[in-house]
Amino acid sequence: MKIFSAQRRLGVCLATILLSVSLLPAQTTPKKPEPQQTGGASTGAPATYTSRRTAGITDPNAPVVFEDVTSKTALASFRHRSGGAAKDYIFETPSGGVAIFDYDGDGRPDIYLLNGSTMAAMQGKEKPPRAALYHNLGNWKFEDVTDKAGVANERWGFGVAVGDYDNDGHPDMYVTNLGVSRLYHNNGNGTFTDVAEKLHVARRGWSTGASWGDYDGDGRLDLFVPGYVQIDLNKLPPNPSEPGGASQNFCQFRGVPVMCGPRGLPGEGDTLYHQKPDGTFEDVSVKAGVSDPEKYYGFSSAFVHVDDDKLLDLIVVNDSTPKQLYINKGNGTFEEIGYPSGVALNENGREQAGMGLAVGDYDNDGRVDFHITNFSDDSNVLYHNDGDTNFTDVTFQTGLGEVSIPFLGWGTSFIDYDNDGWLDLFVVNGHVYPQVDAHQWGTSYAQQALLFRNVNGKFERVGAPPGSALANAWPGRGMAVGDLDGDGRLDLVINNLDDKPTVLRNVAAWTGHWLGLHLVAKAPRDAIGSIAYLTTGKVRQRQDVVSGAVFCSQNDMTLHFGLDAATKVDKLEIQWPDGSTEVFAVPTIDKTITLTQGGQMKQ
Amino acid sequence: MKRPQKILIIALALFIVAAAMAAPVLGQNVAAVQTTDKVLAGAELTRVVPTSFYFQGQAAPTQMRNAAAARVASHFVIAGLVDTSGYSADIRAQYQGFFITDSAITIGGESLPVGAYGFGFSNDGKFNILDLANHQVLSVATTNDKSLKRPRPLMMTMDGRNVRLYAGREYVVIAVK
Repeated sequence: MKIFSAQRRLGVCLATILLSVSLLPAQTTPKKPEPQQTGGASTGAPATYTSRRTAGITDPNAPVVFEDVTSKTALASFRHRSGGAAKDYIFETPSGGVAIFDYDGDGRPDIYLLNGSTMAAMQGKEKPPRAALYHNLGNWKFEDVTDKAGVANERWGFGVAVGDYDNDGHPDMYVTNLGVSRLYHNNGNGTFTDVAEKLHVARRGWSTGASWGDYDGDGRLDLFVPGYVQIDLNKLPPNPSEPGGASQNFCQFRGVPVMCGPRGLPGEGDTLYHQKPDGTFEDVSVKAGVSDPEKYYGFSSAFVHVDDDKLLDLIVVNDSTPKQLYINKGNGTFEEIGYPSGVALNENGREQAGMGLAVGDYDNDGRVDFHITNFSDDSNVLYHNDGDTNFTDVTFQTGLGEVSIPFLGWGTSFIDYDNDGWLDLFVVNGHVYPQVDAHQWGTSYAQQALLFRNVNGKFERVGAPPGSALANAWPGRGMAVGDLDGDGRLDLVINNLDDKPTVLRNVAAWTGHWLGLHLVAKAPRDAIGSIAYLTTGKVRQRQDVVSGAVFCSQNDMTLHFGLDAATKVDKLEIQWPDGSTEVFAVPTIDKTITLTQGGQMKQ
Repeated sequence: MKRPQKILIIALALFIVAAAMAAPVLGQNVAAVQTTDKVLAGAELTRVVPTSFYFQGQAAPTQMRNAAAARVASHFVIAGLVDTSGYSADIRAQYQGFFITDSAITIGGESLPVGAYGFGFSNDGKFNILDLANHQVLSVATTNDKSLKRPRPLMMTMDGRNVRLYAGREYVVIAVK
C-alpha cells in the first residue's frame, strides 16, 4: 500500500510535471499580435449621401461668376463629334481635350480644341472631324487658323499636352489619339509640322492624358503618355445596340445594357519617352519603371514635384484601377508608391474610376495636393499632401465629397477665380451612358459644372443663378484655364462631347489684386517643372508650371496668383527646373510679367 | 529505501532532467508551427492563387493585386477579387470574388466546410459565402476597423492564430478548426 501510495504521489507529481512541460511552450508563446497593417496617415469619416441631382440646380441668391460667351466667339462654329449617339463603344465616350496656350507669342493665350472621329471616318467613308486652333485677337475675338497652322489632326483625338520640347521658344503640342499620336512642332511662323514619326514618339494604341517634364535634369523635355484600353476596330467588343447580343446580358449599368468597359477589356501600358541630345526620343518605360505592366486604364498624368527634392515625380490617374505615384530616384528610374503613399485608393481602400487631375497647393502649406474626378455614384477625391510622400484623403472633411457623388467628373483644375489667394476648384461633368436620361436615377447625361470656393482650406459650392452659365448642363470632358482677355480674372474653355464648346468669361463682381508670371528658364525653356512661391503678408502661395493634367487638356502655363487686398508682393521666389532658386523684386501688380532665369524681368 | 521506490525516484529524476532539456525544444517546435501561420506574399502568394475562377457558368480572371492567402496550421485560406464585368448585374450585386479553404473553418463563428466558393461583402454589413451556383451558404456580420490606416480592396492579416479578411475597413475573422 505504501508503495502504491508513494507511486500514486509520484504519479501525481509526474502528471504535474508533464502538465507543466506541456504548458511551457504555451507560456513562451508570444502575446497575441496586433493585426498587420500598412503605415500611413489617418483618414476621415464616411458620409451620408443625400444629393442626387446633376442638372437644373440653381440658387437665385448666388452671384454670377461666369458668363457663357461662346456664341459671341468663333468657337461657336466648332462641333465636337465622337462616334454615334448611342455610344455603343467605350472609345466614343471620353474624347475632348482642349489647350490654352500662346502659340504665337503675342501675349494673348490661344485655344486648341481636339475633335473625335467616327467609325465611318476611320474606315475612310466620310470626312473625319477636325480639331481647331483659334488665334486670340483680343477683346474676345478669335480667328480659326487651323488650316494655316496645319493642326486639324483628323484622327480620333483625346488629349493635348503643351511643351517646348526643342527649346526654341515656341510651344509645341503632343496630341494623343486612338491610333497614332502626333507631335506638332511649332515652326514659329504660325504653322506646325507633325514630327512624331521622325522623332520616334508616334505612339500607337489609345493614348490619353500626356505630360511633358524633364525627369532626368538634362535640360530637355521628356514625355509621358498613359495608355487606356486596347481597342481593335476590326474586332469590337459587344455593344448594347445588338438585339440579344452579349452586351444585353453582361455590360449593364443598373440593369440596363450599356457599352462595355473598361473593366473586362484589356488595358494598355504607359510610355515614357526620353529625349536624347539629338532631339529624338527613346522609349525608356521599362528601364525607368513606369511601363505599367499591370496595364491599368490610364487617363491623366502630370510631372510634378511631390516630395520637393528638386526631382520631378509623376502621378498617373487610372480608370477603375489604382492610381500610381512614381517618385523620381534621381538615377533615371522611379519608385511606384501609390499604395503606401495613400494615393492609389480612397480613404476606404477602394479603387476608383479616376478621370481628371488637378494639381495645386489648395491650403497654402507649400506642398502640392491632388484633386481627382471619378465616376458617378462615387465622390471625387482630394488628397492632401502631408509631406514625406504621405497623402490623406480629405474629400469629405473639406466639403468635396457628398456634393460630387451624383456627378461623373472629367476635367478639373484649381483656379483662384476670385483672386483671394486661395485656390478654388472647378470640375467639368457629364455621363458616359446616354441611357441615364431615360431613367429616374438622379443623374443625367449632360451635367452642370461644379465651382467650389476655397474658404481657408474648406470648399463651398458656388451656386448658379437661374439663367447663368453655371446653371447650364453640358456633356463636358476636357477643359482649360487661362486669362483669355487679360483682365486678371481667369476664364475657362470646356470641350463638350458631340456638342459645341463652352467659353466661360469670368465676370465675378469682386476680385482681389493679382499677378501673372510668365517664366522663361534656361532649359527647359518653357520652365515646366518650375515652382513659384509668392508671399503677401502671412500667406505664402505656391504654383507649379505643369504640362498636362486636368483631363487630356492643358491649362495656360502662365502662373496666376490672386493677391486679395494686398497691394504689393513681399517676396517672390522661383525654383527653376535645374533646381536653382532666384528671388525677384516685384515692382508692380495687376499685370503679367515675364521672369527669365538669370534675373531678367519684363513687364 | 525499498527498491521500487528507488527506481521510481531515479526514473523521476531522469524524467525531470529530460523534461528540462526537452522543454526549450518543444517550445521551439510550437513556435516554429506558429511562425508558419502567416499571410502569404510574393511567390508564395502567386503559387496558391488561381488566375481565374469558375462561378455560375463562366470563369473570370483574378485581380491579382486584390488577392490574398494565409497559411494556418498547414492549411490555406485563399481569397481574391475577380473581374466581374462579364456577369449580369444581379450576380455582380452579390459576387465579388472567390474564397477557397482546404480545411474546415469558421467565419465569424459560423462553420464552413472545405471547398471553393464565391463571396461578397454587401453594403448592409454582411459577408456572404455563395456556392458555385450562386446560392448563399453562409452570411455573417462584418466588423468595421476604423483604426486601419491604409485599407485595401481585399487583404488578410493575422489576428493571433486567426485570419482577418478585409474588404476596405470591413472584416470577418476566420478560424481554422
